[in-house]
Amino acid sequence: MSVPETVDRVLISAAVVLVVVAGALLLFRISRGPSMLDRAIGLDVFAAVMIAGLGAKSAFARDSFYFPIMLVLAFLGFTGSVGIARFIAVRDKPLSRRGPRRKEERK
Amino acid sequence: MSVWLQITDTAGAVLVFLGAAICLLGVVGMLKLPDVLSRSHAATKPQTLGLLLVLAGVALRLRGGMDFATLALIGFFQLMTSPVASHLVARSAYRTGQIERGELLFDDLDAQLTEPGQEAGKRPEPDSGPERD
Repeated sequence: MSVPETVDRVLISAAVVLVVVAGALLLFRISRGPSMLDRAIGLDVFAAVMIAGLGAKSAFARDSFYFPIMLVLAFLGFTGSVGIARFIAVRDKPLSRRGPRRKEERK
Repeated sequence: MSVWLQITDTAGAVLVFLGAAICLLGVVGMLKLPDVLSRSHAATKPQTLGLLLVLAGVALRLRGGMDFATLALIGFFQLMTSPVASHLVARSAYRTGQIERGELLFDDLDAQLTEPGQEAGKRPEPDSGPERD
């Protein structure tokens, strides 16, 4: 194995390590996020991090096997956060800073 | 393997590494920032820049026409769908009052939300007027 190939492998392995660390930190945010909207944003970013990890794996092995999975994640990964954001209720707030706030639904 | 192909491979690996580093930076921002809107600001960095860099790196390393088309489609769909989710999350955060109104410099949505109803009682925060400087 030549030297540039070793450099490539080291770079992509470091990229995989960074993506895994990012995913772990993001799971921490998702589990701890104060409100459901924070978790929704976290899930949305988590789909992007999964796509980046699959891309790093594809770049390492030079195969295009996981491209359809990346495609499906790219255009279906946002549905979870859209569902959470659309059907969230006011009472789902974690802790109100200024007391309970009445907010009736605006049609 | 010719020199140019080797250079392309290394450039692809560098792009993949940069994209992963930007993903990590965005996630660190999501951990550190305090608010829903601030976190959604930090969340866009892995979704657009990091992911596009990773996809460009993969395209440089694979160098196939079909692979390039699929990667361009992945980037296109990600760019189309992530603003939808961000918009809905920010709208829901505003309407359920999960943002700090005192820290906003401009609140253009405020007038738009209160004006057509003409109901002062519907304001989610009546005391937000004097807080503004």
